[in-house]
Amino acid sequence: MLSRTPSPPARAPLLRGAVAGRLRTLGLRLLLVVLALALWQVASLYAPAFVLPSPARVWNAWTGLLASGSFATDLGITLGRITTGFLLAVAIGLPLGLLLGASRILGEFFEPVLTVVNTVSSSIWAIFALIWFGLSNWTTIFVVFMTAMPLILTNVWQGTRTVNADYVELARTFRMPRRKVLSAIYLPTILPLFFSGARLAFGFGARVSLVAETLGASSGIGYRLRQAADLVQTDQVFAWTLTLVGLMIGLEALVLKPLERHLFAWKRQVQP
Amino acid sequence: MPARTAGDRPCKVRLSGVGKWFPRRGAPPLQVLDGIDLDVPEGAIVALVGSSGAGKSTLLNIVAGLVEPDEGTVTLDGKPQGAFRDWRSITYMFQDDRLLPWRTAAANVGFGLEAAGVGGAERRRRVAETLDLVGLNGFGDAYPHELSGGMRSRVALARSLVTGPSLLLLDEPFSKLDPGTRAQMHAEVLRIARMRAMTLIFVTHDVEEAVVLADWVVVLRPRPGRVAETRAIALPHPRDPVSVEVAEAVRSLRVALAEASASC
Repeated sequence: MLSRTPSPPARAPLLRGAVAGRLRTLGLRLLLVVLALALWQVASLYAPAFVLPSPARVWNAWTGLLASGSFATDLGITLGRITTGFLLAVAIGLPLGLLLGASRILGEFFEPVLTVVNTVSSSIWAIFALIWFGLSNWTTIFVVFMTAMPLILTNVWQGTRTVNADYVELARTFRMPRRKVLSAIYLPTILPLFFSGARLAFGFGARVSLVAETLGASSGIGYRLRQAADLVQTDQVFAWTLTLVGLMIGLEALVLKPLERHLFAWKRQVQP
Repeated sequence: MPARTAGDRPCKVRLSGVGKWFPRRGAPPLQVLDGIDLDVPEGAIVALVGSSGAGKSTLLNIVAGLVEPDEGTVTLDGKPQGAFRDWRSITYMFQDDRLLPWRTAAANVGFGLEAAGVGGAERRRRVAETLDLVGLNGFGDAYPHELSGGMRSRVALARSLVTGPSLLLLDEPFSKLDPGTRAQMHAEVLRIARMRAMTLIFVTHDVEEAVVLADWVVVLRPRPGRVAETRAIALPHPRDPVSVEVAEAVRSLRVALAEASASC
């Protein structure tokens, strides 16, 4: 009876199936890209370049951007602002969510605050930020923070409600100190929810950062986008947009997915 | 009624006149325990049996200090419960194994040591030793979902043993296992309890389990829970459930239990 249940030989055909499945997905994605490019090309033939530039024109604009030198600087500035705002949101949202979840009284008391914060749109935060911080990095960071923090806090808070009371009782029988119960039982339980919350928050944060930059910055991608729009350089707008889309897809595939697989290796795989 | 188990050994746990009420919504409080007197000698294995509603688990929770009695006193190692400090010498094994799914078997076993603040190297050594003790050598890296029910139960047992407790409380810990695995776990528990000179109090509704394991069986009467009878099981170990003596003890205990449940 002392044998591990999933025996290694049973995994081999499954693995082969997974590789085939991945190739299929890759093929489908490529087809979609080709189709979109073709559609774009055809549409651009019937529209003036300042409305819809052709793919080739956008490609030229993009290579031009790459060569310009300010590309890396602007990209770095924007990513730095997003990351700072996001990290601040994690640093505050995670402990606060844990605290509100661990204490019923605090949770009940502060619940309306969260609702209020959630109903204020990011553009309004951008305007406030402009008034408070002027044309500085902090305008964008503040907007990213105000967008990402409530999302993280809410998810962590919800996560504390899924904590299994049986595990907490188990910890009590060992007389585990409350601080350790938080790190040994609460934290692992909420990690999956925190992770999806953080992913959502980063995506939203990245999007609103551009709004903030078009309003209140003199550098960064948002600022360049507004410049391009003012000068009706539609190809530049397209080039920046595609850069951002590529960046987000890369982040998802190269950082978030592998991290998720590593963190949640303990979960039983659902057999298809 | 012989409510107290006699014994010349010192008393590990003593309950005197313990009573407990549970509040109910829109109804007067429900009395679950009434005037429980119980002495558990050091090194004894005591079974609490009774039909549902006899307050068996509540009684165990009171001994563990998880629930406060409303009446009466609890004495642990000769100290009143309020003055008792050595709580980590008591461990508790639940009906479900309560293994943390995100931890490996070894990390689950180490859980009890983390609470006590035992450091890394010492913790690893004791976890390995305890996994060895319960026959799980080499399975430390497995996650709970990769283990069979019997093995999970062994991990839970190891977690209860790793802190080196002198009193082990068990709340129907093997009731969800198949009969063969359950018998194996009984043998393991007996072996380890003897080896470590531990005192065991366990709750069960399985009369055979009580007879096979216990030195003393306390029969509880339901609604509210009261001690109906305390009987010694003086049969030699190992106790084979199909032997005449054990079968007779099981039958007679079953009769006593039925009478206790009927006369409430």
